[in-house]
Amino acid sequence: MKKKIGFVAAMVLVGLALLSTRYYMVDLPVWHFLGGGNGPDPVTLHLQGEFVESNLGAAEGPPGSLTVRMIAQQFVFVPQCIVVPAGVPITFRITSADAVHKLSFLGTNSGLTAVPGAVTEATFTFAKPGEFKIPCHEFCGAGHYAMRGHLDVVPRDQFASMLPGERRTCEPR
Amino acid sequence: MSHASQAARPRVGVPWLGTLSVLLAITLLFSGRDSSAQSESKNSEAPVRIASNVAWTEETLAIISRGDAFRGLLLARRCNHCHGEEGFSSVPAFPNLAGEDRLSFWKQMQDFRSGKRTSPVMQGIAEGFSGRDSADLAAYYAMLPTASDAQDNRTFPQAMKGPSRASMAIRLIVFGDGQRGIPPCQSCHGPVSYVKGAPPLATQNGNYLELQLEHFSTGNRANDINVRMRSIARQLTTEERTAISQFYGAGMGPGVNSR
Repeated sequence: MKKKIGFVAAMVLVGLALLSTRYYMVDLPVWHFLGGGNGPDPVTLHLQGEFVESNLGAAEGPPGSLTVRMIAQQFVFVPQCIVVPAGVPITFRITSADAVHKLSFLGTNSGLTAVPGAVTEATFTFAKPGEFKIPCHEFCGAGHYAMRGHLDVVPRDQFASMLPGERRTCEPR
Repeated sequence: MSHASQAARPRVGVPWLGTLSVLLAITLLFSGRDSSAQSESKNSEAPVRIASNVAWTEETLAIISRGDAFRGLLLARRCNHCHGEEGFSSVPAFPNLAGEDRLSFWKQMQDFRSGKRTSPVMQGIAEGFSGRDSADLAAYYAMLPTASDAQDNRTFPQAMKGPSRASMAIRLIVFGDGQRGIPPCQSCHGPVSYVKGAPPLATQNGNYLELQLEHFSTGNRANDINVRMRSIARQLTTEERTAISQFYGAGMGPGVNSR
């Protein structure tokens, strides 16, 4: 009886550990993999759907929030530089065009995994303005160590005063 | 002893399953919405732009792999004048095609035909080649050797302009620049690893490379799938673009004659 209680307690602990791992790091709905991939085809991302190149970057999401669409691929994030306002919920929707990549915001413990054939969605709110490097956090090939994006969190007022083109990405033009 | 444990087994199994199903239920509860099912809200301001009609699907790869090098040899007469009899151009602004990657060659021909890549000369010529012709040509050029030939009228290894920039070029080609998010050239263009559609650069003309990098950085050339080359070229300075191109054009890039 004592053994049994110990075993159940251990199972609960392991389960809780799994849950917390999923919640903070992976952020992929479990049933996503049960139905057999209903996400975009990684090789035709540029032809149709929400990840065509003119649709990448920050766009208005549901009222009061922002949606950022990104593609992770060997060995660049596209768009490579994103600018978002502070204190506003930002929904990231990312996918991968080839291998598994992981986007992590350096200096915070948030991140999300880019999986080919699936869209990963997660919502973050950046409380204070600042700059974050976004290194790829999952080995993806020879150029992995140089795969790095940039996230610029600016005050809300400054964001509102920017031109639509500047709000989508902060890449040099 | 064994009899007792056998009798106890079904009773042990019940809390096991119970715990598991409760955990599964909690996991499903907490795992949020199915993100793919969400309606695709589009950024309505920007019209849809498609970089290239080519995608590396199984069908595309099958078409390219069926290329016939002998048929390509006959078709290549139309290309010889600019790209050289041995696939090495006599004008430094034209690309060398000897040892060209098949996927890369085929994609560029399709992009010229569809106008996704603009060139006053090549758009007209590429219209005369079907998808099958392009696959044949790709097979032929991929087969041509890249070894040097004193008899051939080629410009390929040219003395590097500004040899002091060689170290800058080596750094970017081999290591890239992690701080700016510039991956090393050789991680996609070889010889370290290859990415579908990335041409080998080891025997390419420097002036041609420089021109293409500049076009990528300004967006004049925008047929790269998922903005890959544009993202990288935009971050390079003019000096760095020149250094990399001239370094490859001098035949000093990694992977010479390796394909």
